Amino acid sequence: MLELRPIFDAIGEFLNSILPEFWVTIVSAFGTGAIILGVASVFVLFFVWWERKVSAHMQQRYGPMRTGWHGWLQTIADGVKLLQKEDLIPRDADKLVYLFAPVVCFVAAFLAYVTIPFGEGLIVQDLNIGILYIIAITTFTVVSLLMAGWASHNKWSLLGGMRSAAQIISYEVPLSLSLIGVIMIAETLSMVSIVVQQEGWFWNWYVFRQPLGFIVYYIAATAEANRTPFDIPEAEQELVAGYNVEYSGMKWAMFFFAEYINMLTISAIAVTLFFGGWHAPAPFLDFIPSWIWFVGKCLLSVFVLMWFRWTYPRVRVDQLMAFAWKFMLPLAFVNIILTGFGIYLF
Amino acid sequence: MGLVKETTSGIYNLLLGLWVTFKHLFRKPVTLQYPDERWEMPERSRGTIVLLSDPETGELNCTACMLCAKACPVAAITIERKKDPETKKNYPTLFTLDTTVCCYCGLCEQACNFDAIKLTGKYEFSVSDKSELLYEMDFLQEIGRDVKYVKKKKAAKKAKKAAPKKDTGEKSAEKPAAKTAEEKKEDSNEEDKAKDKTSGEPKEKGPEDKTE
Repeated sequence: MLELRPIFDAIGEFLNSILPEFWVTIVSAFGTGAIILGVASVFVLFFVWWERKVSAHMQQRYGPMRTGWHGWLQTIADGVKLLQKEDLIPRDADKLVYLFAPVVCFVAAFLAYVTIPFGEGLIVQDLNIGILYIIAITTFTVVSLLMAGWASHNKWSLLGGMRSAAQIISYEVPLSLSLIGVIMIAETLSMVSIVVQQEGWFWNWYVFRQPLGFIVYYIAATAEANRTPFDIPEAEQELVAGYNVEYSGMKWAMFFFAEYINMLTISAIAVTLFFGGWHAPAPFLDFIPSWIWFVGKCLLSVFVLMWFRWTYPRVRVDQLMAFAWKFMLPLAFVNIILTGFGIYLF
Repeated sequence: MGLVKETTSGIYNLLLGLWVTFKHLFRKPVTLQYPDERWEMPERSRGTIVLLSDPETGELNCTACMLCAKACPVAAITIERKKDPETKKNYPTLFTLDTTVCCYCGLCEQACNFDAIKLTGKYEFSVSDKSELLYEMDFLQEIGRDVKYVKKKKAAKKAKKAAPKKDTGEKSAEKPAAKTAEEKKEDSNEEDKAKDKTSGEPKEKGPEDKTE
């Protein structure tokens, strides 16, 4: 009823009628890029405000209250402030790498949205290697963090960059392995096909067939996004702010943006692979548009990530590594083996 | 077995932590939204000092007796006075309170016999220039206009009437400045009663004041 797909189809038809095919491709490519960027930006603005409110209320504070109704304009005010800030480059910094690090981070965070289905038919490109693509692209973040840490010529940022490299690469292993269970059941890498297979009642969702896989994925993804309890790359108390110590103004904002975008990416992947994507939990709830279901589930998952952050303390570096290699990795393997047995038996 | 026990208790405690923060999410925040909300200050709070005026005539109660200036441990009060040739009563021509040195000890209020000076619950007196912290008489009177107070002498009289056995023969009832600790307690009780009466029947106050 309120599905967005027909609108985009109509726009496509209109473009086809007035432009040659080559230009249609160009316009639609830039158009979808702009839409994704815009939608994601709005989500980030909302998440920053939401995180501040959630954290505040968990500590029995109000959080931002002065800018607009309950401070909803706070992120915009912050953005305006960041735009006006002086753009500092440390004297001894490796300038080229320093300048490119936030761009790489930003782009890597956004590229994942190419294969995420936001609703029925709302996908930029349904790649037949969807999950593989996302896993590959999101790991790109680690390159940018290392770049930022190295180029800043600052011991705190270098330590932060090194830590994040070690952490993300370690947790990438259980994360990828935890998704293999889903792929084995679905027998496809395409995001759309995986979602289609979870149609119907909510017990068709893969989280009920892959509970272990989901737990491993969610913990590893939290580490992947550098969020508490795995936020040692930017442990404020030890490293000031980690890899982005020397960044100011909009360059810093791009890192910040990428961090919150990653939060949405994690949630979107979790929803797509484990929680039925755009499907309603029950068939009779289908009258609500699919994209609302998807966004709603994503928001719930983002809230859980925030909830983690404001509940748990940070783990030490050695605990972090031990947890990844001694606990998560075996668990991921156990999950794969169990899934294999399950497929063989049923 | 140890590993299993540790893992289960660890998971239980992680979930417990989540439950605690979730509960706190829906509690009312304890923050006071300061410029929009304010605490109601206690009656005897020692904030900004004001000069009290007679509610009927609007004139200052101060008789320039200098008791407060003498009582002040930091010499924050400066008074100059003149004598009215007709009524032969003293009145202040200059009354400055230097709040940069004032320590809000309240001794001036205790020393005053004429309900002229009082420490109030007002506290928002930040200024951008230090010289503005030297409060002049007019300003002190102006900020004291809305301060409600109970006349010390009247309260003492009421106390006599209400409890004649206790108060008879005690000089200090007429001089509240030199109160003992026990009397202070009594006095505050009587003050409350007197206040109730004055608020209930404000018109009676006029003639009584004159007789005093």
